Amino acid sequence: MTVDPVTVEIIRNALAAAAEDMNATLIRSAYTPVIYECGDCVVALLDERHRVLGQSAGLPIFLGNLEACTLATEQRFGREVWQPGDVWILNDSYLGGTHLNDVTIFGPVFAEQELAGFTATRAHWIDVGSKDPGGSMDSVTIFQEGLRLGPQKLVAAGQPVPGVLDTISTNVRFPYPTSGDLHAMIATINTGQQRLAEIVDRFGLAAVRAAREEIFAQTERLERAVVAAIPDGVYRAEGCLDNDGIDLATPIPVRLTITVSGDHMEFDLTESADQTEGPINCGAAQAVSACRVGYKLLVSPDVPGNGGSFRPMSVRVREGSVFGARPPAACQWYFSHLGLLIDLVAMALAPVLPERVAAASHGDSMIVQCSGTDPRTGREYVSLEATLGGWGAWQGSDGESALINNVNGSLKDMPIEVLETRFPLRITHYGMRPDSGGPGRWRGGNGVIREYVALHDCTLSLWFERSVTPAWGLFGGGGAQPPEVVVNPGRPDERRVLKVNGLRLHAGDVVRCMTGGGGGYGDPAEREGLAVLADIRDGVVTPEHAATVYPHADRAEQPEWQVDTVPDPVY
Amino acid sequence: MDIGGTFTDVVAYDERDGRYRVGKSPTTPDDLTRGALAALSPIAPRAEDVSFLVHGTTQGLNSLLQRRGARVLLLASTGAAQTYHIARGPRTRMYQLHYRKPEPLLPLRDIVHVNGRISAEGEEITRLDEDAVRRAAALFRRGGFTALAVGYLFSCANPAHELRTREVLREELGPEVAISLSHETANEWREYERTSSAVAESYIGPTIRGYLGRLGAALDERGVTAPLHVMQSSGGILTADSARDRPLQTLLSGPVGGTMGGVALAGQLGRPEVICVDMGGTSFDVSLVVDGKPDVVPEVRLDGLPMLMSAVNLHTIGAGGGSVAWVEAGGLRVGPRSAGATPGPACYAQGGESPTVTDANLVLGRIDGDRFAGGRLPLRTDLAERAVCALGARLGLGTSAMAEGICAVANARMAQAIRTITVARGIEPRDFTLVAFGGAGPMHAVFLADELGIGEVVVPRFPGAFSAWGMLQTQIRRDLSEPYFRHGADLDGAHMAGRLSELAEVGLGSLDSEGVPPHARRAEHAVDIRYAAQEYTLAVPLSHAGEPAEPGFLDLVSKRFGQVHESRYGHSNPGAPIEFVTLRTTAWGDLGHAEPERIPESHGPVAVQHERSVTFDGRAWDTAVLHREDLAAGHEFDGPALVVEDTATTVVPPGHRVTVDEFGSLLIQGVLA
Repeated sequence: MTVDPVTVEIIRNALAAAAEDMNATLIRSAYTPVIYECGDCVVALLDERHRVLGQSAGLPIFLGNLEACTLATEQRFGREVWQPGDVWILNDSYLGGTHLNDVTIFGPVFAEQELAGFTATRAHWIDVGSKDPGGSMDSVTIFQEGLRLGPQKLVAAGQPVPGVLDTISTNVRFPYPTSGDLHAMIATINTGQQRLAEIVDRFGLAAVRAAREEIFAQTERLERAVVAAIPDGVYRAEGCLDNDGIDLATPIPVRLTITVSGDHMEFDLTESADQTEGPINCGAAQAVSACRVGYKLLVSPDVPGNGGSFRPMSVRVREGSVFGARPPAACQWYFSHLGLLIDLVAMALAPVLPERVAAASHGDSMIVQCSGTDPRTGREYVSLEATLGGWGAWQGSDGESALINNVNGSLKDMPIEVLETRFPLRITHYGMRPDSGGPGRWRGGNGVIREYVALHDCTLSLWFERSVTPAWGLFGGGGAQPPEVVVNPGRPDERRVLKVNGLRLHAGDVVRCMTGGGGGYGDPAEREGLAVLADIRDGVVTPEHAATVYPHADRAEQPEWQVDTVPDPVY
Repeated sequence: MDIGGTFTDVVAYDERDGRYRVGKSPTTPDDLTRGALAALSPIAPRAEDVSFLVHGTTQGLNSLLQRRGARVLLLASTGAAQTYHIARGPRTRMYQLHYRKPEPLLPLRDIVHVNGRISAEGEEITRLDEDAVRRAAALFRRGGFTALAVGYLFSCANPAHELRTREVLREELGPEVAISLSHETANEWREYERTSSAVAESYIGPTIRGYLGRLGAALDERGVTAPLHVMQSSGGILTADSARDRPLQTLLSGPVGGTMGGVALAGQLGRPEVICVDMGGTSFDVSLVVDGKPDVVPEVRLDGLPMLMSAVNLHTIGAGGGSVAWVEAGGLRVGPRSAGATPGPACYAQGGESPTVTDANLVLGRIDGDRFAGGRLPLRTDLAERAVCALGARLGLGTSAMAEGICAVANARMAQAIRTITVARGIEPRDFTLVAFGGAGPMHAVFLADELGIGEVVVPRFPGAFSAWGMLQTQIRRDLSEPYFRHGADLDGAHMAGRLSELAEVGLGSLDSEGVPPHARRAEHAVDIRYAAQEYTLAVPLSHAGEPAEPGFLDLVSKRFGQVHESRYGHSNPGAPIEFVTLRTTAWGDLGHAEPERIPESHGPVAVQHERSVTFDGRAWDTAVLHREDLAAGHEFDGPALVVEDTATTVVPPGHRVTVDEFGSLLIQGVLA
């Protein structure tokens, strides 16, 4: 059967809109802010062969890993396991790829008496019963990370399977919002089922299938044309995570080899580190997703993803490595090496895609967590923040300063006014970190300095990464400064830390967090003198630093106004 | 008057005979007052006859979008001065490696930091460094700046430092210098958003004030003595004098008129749930009227920059008559790229070669090429056909099928966008009436309604000037807010009631200067609430300022919040602790508004001007062409039909029946075959 191009385009839009509707349903009905504010979720509509018909991701890192869940279920139980009215749940890291907090709910869609496809959604649950509330920074086995569900039927023929919900409720710390999120996710897959059924109803299953093949073919053609234009060759890049959070002395190498051959490219991760004791491992499905993000950033940033996407690429993962974790490897911080991997894709392909790539970014979430009891209210609190950093420059533009890392999507920082109202903390400085971006004809963006003062005793945990491999430059551009955290700067008890779990802070203690910048692009000697002058006037680059890295530029003019630098802490 | 980008529309209501008149004139970008007066003169020739004048303008919005505003110097707290550039750091396009933040309205070097710190509780921790303020004034003088903004941390909790800063600046720079204080522009917490609002207000202020001054002078010169009013983003109006103090509120002044027209129409028709669609050449604006009220939000984003202000919630989609049809990887695409005004659609004969939605409509016979835009812009059907035919050849479709395909894809995209907006609000579009206006809205409305399962489409009178009409249907509105952060358990009801009474006093008092008589004033109150530890809040209405002081208020307001939460998010959390965040008071002043005009009753059948061939569903239909001005109340006719008027064409496909109601609106419903 062939379908005319108008119908194909209407079906293409309808499938994309169905995914948007699912996403809107999830955001609207979720109970916890991590879903409806941070968008830590994804939805997808799949065909009967587990290929994406439409999807909407809140986090890029979730790109295309829902099909792994329906496929794993089918491989385990056989195709006949799919029955109308059933809903399934899965959060196994080794199948789904991410940490146990990311729970996937999915179900089959039947139309015209046959299996027409699946709808699926994944969202972050605030707690799944790990040894510490919400998750731990120092788990060494998945058994410390919470309840692990393989593919498990949750609803059978429209009726809840007895006992499953109770099992979940008794294993998580916040059963009320968790069950709310679970029901929101079920509502989401129901919306998807309804929309897909409506589309099949309107156009007929045969027409939808024919249109689908044409839609996939269009996407594949677009992507193959881009890949085919990349010269054949073997492209490598590598970098290191600082450590696994347990053995702080041993860096963890991440090695990527991309082989381009005609209109196909293979991503080989097999030379990367063995899985680690600390929680920085992920399942292979998530490694595939990260490679897809790197690929998409360079090949098809504007093309909506579907079953035709990613056909020109494949991924090789070694089981037992940090990218192919085997039980019982810990997976709680599954994303730090994925962020690095995404930057490495651009580094590897830079020689042949100079106009599409960018230099590296600061690269990780840079987590600051404080907890204690607020003396103003007597209530316990936990403040959890990701910290912004600099992004890499590209051909024609400086990198952006103070931006969230790739893996966190569209997350915003916490306003000082909100933080200080809610928690017994004070921010004494929040601003750009001058000179932290790499120099270049186009310079990297700056990281930030965010300085906290504890107004009362509390406990601090940190996860700052990428000091061993800070953001690198490209084409002669310089590298960026790495992250630094100084506790009590200038005091006798000053100490530097990057990862720490449960450090006691006393009233008046100061924590100065500095994130890395992005890499520069092109030879700094080619940077326009006026641009250097503007950077000095904006306080982006200090005159001293400019004298070192841009000796050709005229720095006669000093900033007219004193730049807002880190002051002495206010108590 | 709606002073848009291309045309200036004027709608006049004659209080003596209750009739409306409409004028239109090209907008004159070099001096907008010329175009405005040109449109006004023919319908209100005697200046002294004008007793009330309201207008909407895109002046502020344009100066913001085109970055042609004032050079602003920002004073911000030491230690947090760069917040405006950090901009909270989200990446909104996630697969864009070459991502840049929305461009701020001033560079980092134009931010000066001033020592002085207020705590979350509003206590002074560090004294204000007045010398730093004086140094900033000196910099202002020699730096070529034209406006100032002040955004200090926690000024919403204690404005003393911002107020003192203004005094010092005035001492140094004189009383005329333009200064926006963040707590006055937006008295809410979140320093970035509040500062962004204050900077935007300073940025557009001089443009708006200059423009209002010129327009006022031009009207004076012509002898118009009625006070000039300006439409606000919130859907209310203010006198031009007040708008000069609060220019930020005028940002969405133009498009909001349409939504307020939708509100008025909802009342007239007795249909409280309305989806308003305004389709023009390049964009498609959707807004909702829910339970007879406009959907108003407390924060909007313009060009990516947040503004804390009450604003009608407008969703803009890149789809319009100018949307270009093209081929990508062998597949048909329509939009989001637009041919704009130049070169415009192929049929404009200005060099455009890509077929657009307007070209497709012309090929199908759904537009009368000779009467387009009142005959001022004759359209070339041959050029439209050539463009559509060329695209069809690439996709294996005949010209007519291609044209219908372009419209079908454009309609499907618009309908899906509407559906996603309603799903996000938990609304079922089937329960709504679709009100269509703008140049291209009535042409597509019935197709959109059919896609969405909406039973009724309404095309109001003067669809091309509906925003201007809507402006006549609204009231004076003043919004006040005050941060009020308390855990529910810590509520002191009498205190909250006291604060609300004070807000009401200020708000109602401010209506003096708007010329509202005391008996026509009223205040509405609401409090923003959320479940403890969430960020986003919902406004929960209160019955009166004293309500929080009444016994049992906490239980009652918790339940009410639960209901609002349920309707917005589909669930609530009974018994969960709540937090109060912001108090809101809206002062309304009713200056009386234009009554709907009844049109004459029909005597006899509808006059069909002629018939023409129009394509629907792959087949040519003999289609009646009617003139809007020939229609009378009670007329009924069936599609296929075209209702033609100067500013728009309403397309009625086969299988639909039109009824003309007493106010001249076209009510279009599907009929079972």
